[in-house]
Amino acid sequence: MSLQEEIRSFIVDNFLFGDAGTLNNDSSFIKEGIVDSTGILQLVAFIQEQYRVVVEDEELIPENLDSVSKVAAFIENKMKMAALVGEELEVAVGGADGAV
Amino acid sequence: MEPAVHNLLENSARIRPDKVALVQGDLRITYRQANIRANRVAGWLIDEGVLPGERVVMLLKNGIEYLAGYYGILKAGAVAVPLNCDLRVDALRELLADLHPVAVICGSEGEQLLNGIDSDLFGIRLLLIKDASGSRTPRGARVFAWDEVVTDADLPDHGLATNASALAGIIYTSGSTGAPKGVMLSHRNIVSNTCSIIQYLGLNENDVQMVVLPFFYVMGKSLLNTHVAVGGTVVVNNEFAYSAPVIRQMAQEGVTGFSGVPSTYAYLLHRSPLAAFRDKLPALRYCTQAGGHMAREIKQRLMEVLPPHTRLYIMYGATEAAARLTYVEPEMLVEKIDSIGRAIPGVTVRVLDEKGEEVAEGEIGELVASGANIMLGYWRDEIATGKVLDANGYHTGDMGYRDGDGYLYVTGRKDHLLKVGGHRLDPQEIEDALMATGELLEVAVLGVDDHLLGKKLVAIAVSLQENPSDKVLLSRCLSRLPRHKIPSEIRFVAALPKYASGKIDRAACLEASPLADPSCNGRQGD
Repeated sequence: MSLQEEIRSFIVDNFLFGDAGTLNNDSSFIKEGIVDSTGILQLVAFIQEQYRVVVEDEELIPENLDSVSKVAAFIENKMKMAALVGEELEVAVGGADGAV
Repeated sequence: MEPAVHNLLENSARIRPDKVALVQGDLRITYRQANIRANRVAGWLIDEGVLPGERVVMLLKNGIEYLAGYYGILKAGAVAVPLNCDLRVDALRELLADLHPVAVICGSEGEQLLNGIDSDLFGIRLLLIKDASGSRTPRGARVFAWDEVVTDADLPDHGLATNASALAGIIYTSGSTGAPKGVMLSHRNIVSNTCSIIQYLGLNENDVQMVVLPFFYVMGKSLLNTHVAVGGTVVVNNEFAYSAPVIRQMAQEGVTGFSGVPSTYAYLLHRSPLAAFRDKLPALRYCTQAGGHMAREIKQRLMEVLPPHTRLYIMYGATEAAARLTYVEPEMLVEKIDSIGRAIPGVTVRVLDEKGEEVAEGEIGELVASGANIMLGYWRDEIATGKVLDANGYHTGDMGYRDGDGYLYVTGRKDHLLKVGGHRLDPQEIEDALMATGELLEVAVLGVDDHLLGKKLVAIAVSLQENPSDKVLLSRCLSRLPRHKIPSEIRFVAALPKYASGKIDRAACLEASPLADPSCNGRQGD
């Protein structure tokens, strides 16, 4: 699955109860009433666990998070930055027990 | 003459016509414009034959249309019924059947929602739509375009007299059980509460409020009415989920007041750059919190993180009270950190036993409120009304006590009491103990059916740590709670489900957590 497809399926499963309806990759989560602040918390938790990136408080802006394609671009950018900086994000934390 | 709710807007339009009433993104609307637009809405309703007492539903997000629609409906003598535009079609259908509204005012979101409904089923004759997609004309209703009806061409106040005891609005409450109930508020209810709030918060025309709570929720409605009454400014931001731009806008607009429910502040503390803006909010005079009990931990952290000049008001109220009942003066907050404070001006709150007798200091009873702000009753539900309103006033359903200084404390809700293994427990005390560990963002403690205990305690929690340990949390609770109050289980989730008001939807919490069958020891297959 591509990054966009993964994000999309997370959104559909968690916020649209499996019914993708009219959601396209550029639909605004807020304007379409898909996520609220609780939803953003879930989305950020998912991004951090799934892709091992850290989302800073200052990054909680619509430009980064308000559609499937924006989230995908944001994660890609984060992973690229992390690779460039050479940060070792693979801390000794198991990935399987991300208790949800 | 006793003022009606819309007179608040008319007064400010007369005294401060060029003052900005509302900011929405790049849009700014003055009091003169706001009042003219409200007059246009009223004129349209009257011209179309809408009669006093008839219901007009609003399906609008916070914004200029909401302001003009709300006061316009009231000017026409009709009853404003703001509903959540994120409702599901089935829920909307039920409310419309309950209300039989004559008209609906909505934006494109509301229009989409209405498309799933046959409007004439509920007697809807008129639709006023902002930015209509025109995809479908509902059967039986005449459709009007907002931009054609609500122009900026001057239109004076019609000056019709409104009886202060007349029904002004219906607000549906998100009850923890059963169908939502429509709280009927009169002009007097709303105006008297508005005046009390202005008095104790010391609001004036220089106040600028950042509104992230929906206006259709009673606390949002109070924010609108209090600021309109004093000629202040409301800045609406409907994207609180993205907290960073909200805080930046607070700094840019010189916001003096911010208001939230407990989840608003939990979110701000843990998922926003609030702390980094401590030196960049010189105008922020105060923050208010209402909408349910907020853990002591969050209050203390807020006092540390907010700018030193920002006063924190902890308040308590109910939709049935047109919003506000009590508050804690900020200078008393440290001393009375767990209190909901004392009654606001014009309101009396007593602690009564089941016979309606006032209990002694320190003894637990039900909080019962009286004052000009207490609702007329529930819309078309005399049985429910009879259960909460009597000669003593409004029975809040909240249990609590009064201390020696007259400060009130809520210990929990009558209908949240859980019977676990013969003990009657209040989840609030347990939630407080869990929050006091400092390891959690938010938590709800619920009773899950158990064949041995009747109910067992399950905590649904959102951890601040990456790898939360239920054992560590529970062992920390042992120092704060007797053993029978320790939850049997903690289920960690990414977030707790909320109503549109930001309050935790307790009924939905169990569904949001991983299923475990309480009748067997092991976990069943999926």
